Amino acid sequence: MTAMRVDAKVVMLGKESVGKTSLVERYVHHRFLVGPYQNTIGAAFVAKPTHVGDKVVTLGIWDTAGSERYEAMSRIYYRGARGAVVCYDLTDSSSFQRARFWVKELQNCEEHCKIYLCGTKNDLIEADRGLRQVDYHDVQDFADEIGAQHFETSSKTGSNVDELFQKVAEDYNSSSFEVMPEEQGVDLGQKKDSYFYACCH
Amino acid sequence: MAADVHNQPWESMPSNGCLTAEHLTVERLRIDRAESPTPGLVEGTEPGAGQETAMFVHTQSFEDLTADTEEEAGPESAEGVGPVEEEGPDEEVCPEEEARRSGVREKEEDVTSEAWRAHRKHVFVLSEAGKPIYSRYGTEEALSSTVGVMMALVAFVESDKNAIRSIQGDGYRVVFLRKSPLVLVGVSRGSQSDRELVRELQYVYYQIVSLLTLTQLDHIFKHKQNYDLRRLLSGSEHLTASLLRLLELDPGPLLSAVTCLPLAGAARDTVSASLQHARAPTLVFSILLAGTRLVSLVRRKEQHLHHMDLHLLFNLVGSSSSFREGEGWTPVCLPKFNTAGFFHAHVSYLLPGTPLCLVLVSTDREDFFTLSDCKRRFLERLQKRSAFHALQEALACPTYPVAQVGIPELRHFVYKSKSSGLYTSPELPVPYSSEEEQERLMCLYQQLHSRLHHPTRPLRSIYRCTHTENLFAWVTSGFELYLCFSPLGTKAVAVAAVNKLLKWIRKEEDRLFILSPLTY
Repeated sequence: MTAMRVDAKVVMLGKESVGKTSLVERYVHHRFLVGPYQNTIGAAFVAKPTHVGDKVVTLGIWDTAGSERYEAMSRIYYRGARGAVVCYDLTDSSSFQRARFWVKELQNCEEHCKIYLCGTKNDLIEADRGLRQVDYHDVQDFADEIGAQHFETSSKTGSNVDELFQKVAEDYNSSSFEVMPEEQGVDLGQKKDSYFYACCH
Repeated sequence: MAADVHNQPWESMPSNGCLTAEHLTVERLRIDRAESPTPGLVEGTEPGAGQETAMFVHTQSFEDLTADTEEEAGPESAEGVGPVEEEGPDEEVCPEEEARRSGVREKEEDVTSEAWRAHRKHVFVLSEAGKPIYSRYGTEEALSSTVGVMMALVAFVESDKNAIRSIQGDGYRVVFLRKSPLVLVGVSRGSQSDRELVRELQYVYYQIVSLLTLTQLDHIFKHKQNYDLRRLLSGSEHLTASLLRLLELDPGPLLSAVTCLPLAGAARDTVSASLQHARAPTLVFSILLAGTRLVSLVRRKEQHLHHMDLHLLFNLVGSSSSFREGEGWTPVCLPKFNTAGFFHAHVSYLLPGTPLCLVLVSTDREDFFTLSDCKRRFLERLQKRSAFHALQEALACPTYPVAQVGIPELRHFVYKSKSSGLYTSPELPVPYSSEEEQERLMCLYQQLHSRLHHPTRPLRSIYRCTHTENLFAWVTSGFELYLCFSPLGTKAVAVAAVNKLLKWIRKEEDRLFILSPLTY
């Protein structure tokens, strides 16, 4: 096991239970775990190397928890991110409202971060069109407006998942000479939050 | 030294080059102790006691002490002391079983149904404004009127400058725990004492604090009294549910102690040394777990971890599959350490498919990659050593059969070394292999524990015969011991067994306990 080298930081954002973890699981481990829903605690990090032409780009993917409880923490996950996959559930219109919130947040705080709007659970729509609550064209218009890419995926069938992350890696590759890559790790200039207090026992 | 090694074939000795200074100290310590005239009766010399300082805060905190004195005034039913003839086994109620098997459906239960009423233990959390925050069974919305009644009871008694602690009647016990800005209510049909129930409610309270911090909790309710806290707690219901199961089945919380993965002392020392080596400036605790068993804990000097915080960490890690996906990074408040702020925990499984999970607790939320590197260094260092092989072998048998002790009448025991805050217990034998029986045995231990630690009339030892087993419990300043014998045994057998068992634990202490905890 060697030290982890990460080229591009990618953050997964979106309302809870839209399927961010399943998406990462499908992309990284090529599997879909069936079972009771389990929310992510805090965030999970995975590094995944992928080929772009003859180069290897390693995506450092931050799979964040959707729960409101961790919202205050989310800044550290998208800071310096080169791509943000903003997920919404195609069968849940409220999750798209939440996606809009994340887009606004990213536009305000991370202007260099490319946004990828990702509708999830497409297999449910294919099984029953009546379940669709988020219109394809509405999202496409929104994507055009904010200069984002738009994908509809299914982690269950794997449809469009590799394409999404491949696009993220390609975009990073073609833009990497434009923006200075941000150093990962501790930022010594950053004022340390005083979260730690002496023990009183 | 050499002779000592030959006498102990159970212990896998370290390979060349691994015999550390710590190991030698341990060996010497053991020899010293074996010669002690009164082994085990004094705190610090009992089997399993660590050298120097303990890893845990094991003295009672102010809070624990005040809770105890409160209890003195509580309506503890007075019973005679000494051998007591016990009633038959509890009857199991089927609906409860069914509901438990289907964990997901618990939330969708109809709160007006008989099945809902039949649950042995309900736990409710409400805000001071009377809003439901958590219910173990059924949805909170459906319970708003029930919760309203609970809050009315609390408020009614308080208006008279008093506090409600518990209500008993119709075979039920209703216990209240007031932890502003929350109110916790436990309703139990079982034989648990108020004290035990309050302890469980405290765990639930600290579980909530560990997710939010008390500062945030206070802040929220100060600004908006009727805030719906479920918004912030969403997704944590399974944590509380699994915590409640843990409290019912695991002797750890009862004894204020944790248990270790049995591992040869030398191998454990190597693991600890590797953890110690992989340090970082912001690192406060490095904890290696195997399921709910501790393998090693290395801490910053002067900083102690409370067993309750450790149980909350065990529960967080054990009940969340999310840490298996990658490296987890989560804010976590350790409420017994400090209720005001978050630590940041790096949680990762050492190798895919093993229960070995490393938790690195840091003070800096920006430090993920530093800690990720600590983990890598730890694993690299450990993998080069033979201890890694020993560790993997130990994972194959995380527990031991009681037969190893060599006392035929002995079915099960729990032994806690007070000074180290660690306990050891064999696997449950056949009569207790089902979850109901396991819970019943735990209930019996709890009853003994309540007797030994009675706030006004504590006991040193107690022997109890029932139709299904004989129980013996003994507490000294050094240890606490609970034994379960077959019902055919006698008191004399039990007393003789204690001595034999203590000798056995002394012989095995190197494997069953962490004798030389390290600091950075």
